[in-house]
Amino acid sequence: MRLLVVEDDPLLLHSLREGLREENYAIDTALDGATGLTMAFEVDFDAIILDGMLPEIDGWEFLRRLRPKKTTPVLMLTARDAIPDRIRGLDAGADDYLVKPFDFDELLARLRALIRRDRGQGSNRLQINEITIDLARKEAMKNDTPISLTPREYALVEYLALHRGVVISRTELYDHLFDESDDSLSNLLDVHVSNIRKKLGSSFISTRRGHGYAIE
Amino acid sequence: MKRPFRSIRWRLLLWHSLISLALVVAVVVLADRLVTKEKMDRIDREIRNFERRFFREIFDDEKREKGNPPSLDEIRNALRQLNESETGLSGFESLFQENASEPYLATWDKDGTPLFISKNAPDSLALPVFAKKVHPFRYLDRDSFREHQRRYSSGLSIVTGRDISLEIASLHQFRILLGIGGISLLLGALAGSWWLAGRALRPVETISHTASRIAAGNLNERIALANSDTELDQLGHVLNDTFERLASMIEQQKRFTADASHELRTPLTVILSETQRALKRERNPEEYQAIISHCQTAAKRMQALVNSLLLLARHDLETSPEKSPVIDLAAVAAVVADLLEPLAAERHSKITRALTPVQVSARPELLEILVQNLLSNALSHPPEGTAVTIRTHISQKNAILEIHDAGPGIPAEHLPHLFDRFYRADTARSHGSGHSGLGLAIARSITETLHGHIEVTSSPTTGTTFRILLPASEK
Repeated sequence: MRLLVVEDDPLLLHSLREGLREENYAIDTALDGATGLTMAFEVDFDAIILDGMLPEIDGWEFLRRLRPKKTTPVLMLTARDAIPDRIRGLDAGADDYLVKPFDFDELLARLRALIRRDRGQGSNRLQINEITIDLARKEAMKNDTPISLTPREYALVEYLALHRGVVISRTELYDHLFDESDDSLSNLLDVHVSNIRKKLGSSFISTRRGHGYAIE
Repeated sequence: MKRPFRSIRWRLLLWHSLISLALVVAVVVLADRLVTKEKMDRIDREIRNFERRFFREIFDDEKREKGNPPSLDEIRNALRQLNESETGLSGFESLFQENASEPYLATWDKDGTPLFISKNAPDSLALPVFAKKVHPFRYLDRDSFREHQRRYSSGLSIVTGRDISLEIASLHQFRILLGIGGISLLLGALAGSWWLAGRALRPVETISHTASRIAAGNLNERIALANSDTELDQLGHVLNDTFERLASMIEQQKRFTADASHELRTPLTVILSETQRALKRERNPEEYQAIISHCQTAAKRMQALVNSLLLLARHDLETSPEKSPVIDLAAVAAVVADLLEPLAAERHSKITRALTPVQVSARPELLEILVQNLLSNALSHPPEGTAVTIRTHISQKNAILEIHDAGPGIPAEHLPHLFDRFYRADTARSHGSGHSGLGLAIARSITETLHGHIEVTSSPTTGTTFRILLPASEK
């Protein structure tokens, strides 16, 4: 999953980026609303974490401009905790609202919920034949036996599983699993797919020549 | 209804009734006196005229044509004859009858022997006693008779009188009526003043009720004013203004607290986020060091913010200024400029000093904060390489500190708000540079504590100048 974090405090931005990367998200960042908005239009992020008080364009204006064109899930992070502010944020188009200071694990859980809902999933556990994918624990299990996947492998499996039945192009996979800081040499999709097939079964991921990959 | 003599209404009533009482009594007494006097004067005139007519009648035909006034003996004889006369005197028949409702008359000789006593004289008639030998005349009230008594130079004394019981009765009646009238007037005045006081004081009750409600918490309510210029309206105006100021002060407080807590949230979030992230997995020492260092940065930022807020809060509450020493503004400016030379070097800016010694009365640490806030702003906000000048001089009993940067200036729309708390004109530099938005607010607060004035001028061509005026001290 690829996320955009728009936050004007560099220290906090750094902390969020590192923390989320360690949770296997691909992260892009912006220090002000204008830059963030441009990025949000250019890239199809799976979710956006948005601060309220931003220079250039503030969080609410960001939403106002984003929403007509994009339905990306947005989680607002802000120091404004008054009820009117929350209502304003949610009505402006935010899908969730977290008040600073927040618990990092709570942020992660809410992100997962946002993405899950965006993908039409009700539960954190996806069942694909004999493979179970636990989105919360970031684990894949075959018949309740945990299978060890590398972070990249898991990210790929999770993405395809959440888009189950849809053929995802390689471009899209690249866009959503890696961010601009990644070293492209280690990201050969084919290698990852092959490894996954070895671990979870050769029929787990199907290839559509010329189109992409899918989990049926 | 408050206890009597405590409430204004009762006191007004009391005083008003006392005054009314005095007035009514005065009027009643005056009326009584006037009417009595007028009545008595009339009676006296009547008696006098009677006497005159009497004597004219007696002596009219005698000696008159001779042109001489009658002699004493002639008078005596005439009066004695009258006494014995059966026919009486024409025109004065009543003198010879028994009733005294008509005037009576009596004369005595020098030695007190009666010369003529009219038949209708009362039994109580007596020879008048005069203190002096000669007494022109006097009026006397004897029982229910009013008498005109006179002693002539010849020694003859005469009394003319009349029964005035009818008049007295009528006067009594008049007095009673007057009394009743006076009392009703008084009662009317009392009732009127009670009602009037109530009317006048009702607005006071309204005001006091409204004020209690406002004081109890509803700060948006105001006292309704009739928009006349009465004293109560003025009171209402004053109270409303006070409430207005109170409400705005409380608003300011709320806003300040909200802003302050808002500012503190982000560094707190950093610490929380970093520490939670740190504990999620095993890390190498470098990572831990980096995380801890970030926490420290955030904590320091909070520390600076808290210090600034406390400084401002202390100034807000400062009621009794301590005695400040007299120090040299130029010396303080020099110290701060030295302190900030490293920053200037980092920003490739040069600080030019034009410092003329000038004395002010201030605590040195406050002055330092003031100068430092402005000077570091001048070094940090404009682009690198901008020339900065710090200048002190004296002008018209004011010590003047000027800090100028030759940068691109501050847009005009920000200038009025520049000294507001947490106001950031340069929103792109909000957190990164560690500026809290309180620096100028603190500068203004310190300046005002020192009884001075701070102002800013800025334009793209001339740069930005902050000017502080403080009262200069005599050495």
